[in-house]
Amino acid sequence: MRLENFKTLTWADFFLYSIIDPRALMRRIIQREPDPFWLSFVVPAASALFSMLTLSLMGRQSSFFYHKMSYGWIFVFMVTIVLVFVYSSMVDAVAQAYGLGGRVKHLIPLINFSFMPQLFILPALYPFIVGNFAPFFFYVAASIAAFIWRILIVVQGISEMHSIDFGRALVIFILPAVALFVSLFLALIMLVTMIVSFLS
Amino acid sequence: MERERKLTVAILAMLVLVAIIAIVDITLKIEEKTSKEKKFIIPSTAGVGIVRVDGPIELSGPSNLFGKPSGAEAIVRRLRELEDDSNIKAIVVRINSPGGTVAATQEIYNKIMKLRAKNIPVVASLGDVAASGGYYVASACNYIFANQGTVTGSIGVIAYSPNLKRLFDKFGIQMNVIKSGKYKDILSSHRDMTSEERMLLQNLIDSSYNRFVKDVAIGRNISQDEVRAIADGRVMTGEMALAFKLVDATGTFEDAVDKARELAGLPVDCPVYDGSSSPIEEIFGTMNGIFKGITGSELYPSYKLEYRYMP
Repeated sequence: MRLENFKTLTWADFFLYSIIDPRALMRRIIQREPDPFWLSFVVPAASALFSMLTLSLMGRQSSFFYHKMSYGWIFVFMVTIVLVFVYSSMVDAVAQAYGLGGRVKHLIPLINFSFMPQLFILPALYPFIVGNFAPFFFYVAASIAAFIWRILIVVQGISEMHSIDFGRALVIFILPAVALFVSLFLALIMLVTMIVSFLS
Repeated sequence: MERERKLTVAILAMLVLVAIIAIVDITLKIEEKTSKEKKFIIPSTAGVGIVRVDGPIELSGPSNLFGKPSGAEAIVRRLRELEDDSNIKAIVVRINSPGGTVAATQEIYNKIMKLRAKNIPVVASLGDVAASGGYYVASACNYIFANQGTVTGSIGVIAYSPNLKRLFDKFGIQMNVIKSGKYKDILSSHRDMTSEERMLLQNLIDSSYNRFVKDVAIGRNISQDEVRAIADGRVMTGEMALAFKLVDATGTFEDAVDKARELAGLPVDCPVYDGSSSPIEEIFGTMNGIFKGITGSELYPSYKLEYRYMP
């Protein structure tokens, strides 16, 4: 991003619209003024950082925190990016199967910006952590709320991108999500089986 | 629109600020916790040091996942560290052990006797079991506390090996033994023991037993006859041991710490330095061996004389 673009604060629109108007966000992504592709990766990076901070605040503090924040953060960010790429490709493939145009370069920034609600979990939860007032309950509640909010952002974005109704956009969203969830679940089972058999 | 953009930037700045506050918050908590832990591990003012004798006593126990050694050598090393530290004015030895090999037990006993000679008071606190070699170690201390229900005593020596001759005969298995001397395969499991071998081993056992009785008598400052009267391998509770003068008082670990403070002339609120591991080390230390298979060394018989209580 050029410095003049940075000064005009046009980049801030992506963050603003991801919160208040996902359809407008999708329109801005398509317009590419400025190109949000690389900027959008700031959000999953920050989301990984904030998630680890939140869990560290609620858990038992030890010097392992510094490893979590360095190696752990890089690891979580990389895994998130891989999942974003895989999921975007899958959504694109499903959209094409429905006879819609494939625009994976627009989908990746959309999914990246959809991580925005997760950034608000930490500030929302901080008073409960400091006051030790059922922090785990509120963490779970806030995480569920942020997850639903993320789904709404992505579905509305897909709906705007392909000019289709919300219901069809939801189907395009859900099919790859289910496939990805099942694949990850099976991979996890295989990994656990492998580790246990290796150790024993 | 300009105003909304500035508001968005302000929100993003606020998020960054929250992240920084969280990092500082966690860092401060870690610092506080670390300094608190260090305070009880690294002596900074005059206090009481703790040494723990847990499980069967062997010269070199297995290292945990962090490479921390265990066994008598580690215990002696810990005692030496406390001896060298000018802030350690008294030591409490917490014993929870059924005993172990003769040499390993004597190493710890002799080290404690050296500390006593240097006028460092050593108080023993007996846990669930402090029998045989576990009691041998305790007897070196200036003062011994046992809980009423502690299993202690079992003064004696044992050596054993299975006799599998009948089993071997049943399956038609014969061992080919080529040896340099007639006693080289003493305690062999594939044949009966000869009377000569039994006598030889009995002498060995008696020698170690006499050493045990003598050392207990020295440590407890009682006559060998008094020790021999109860040194028939019997186990007893802490209360019974008190009646037989094997312990000085019944009491808890805290009582032992208080006694150590008293013997060293330390104030009642002086710190206690426990060299226990960090929580992570403890977790991995506990896990150590869970996934361990049978190693080669466990398949081969080893001849050991033991000061050990074997229920």
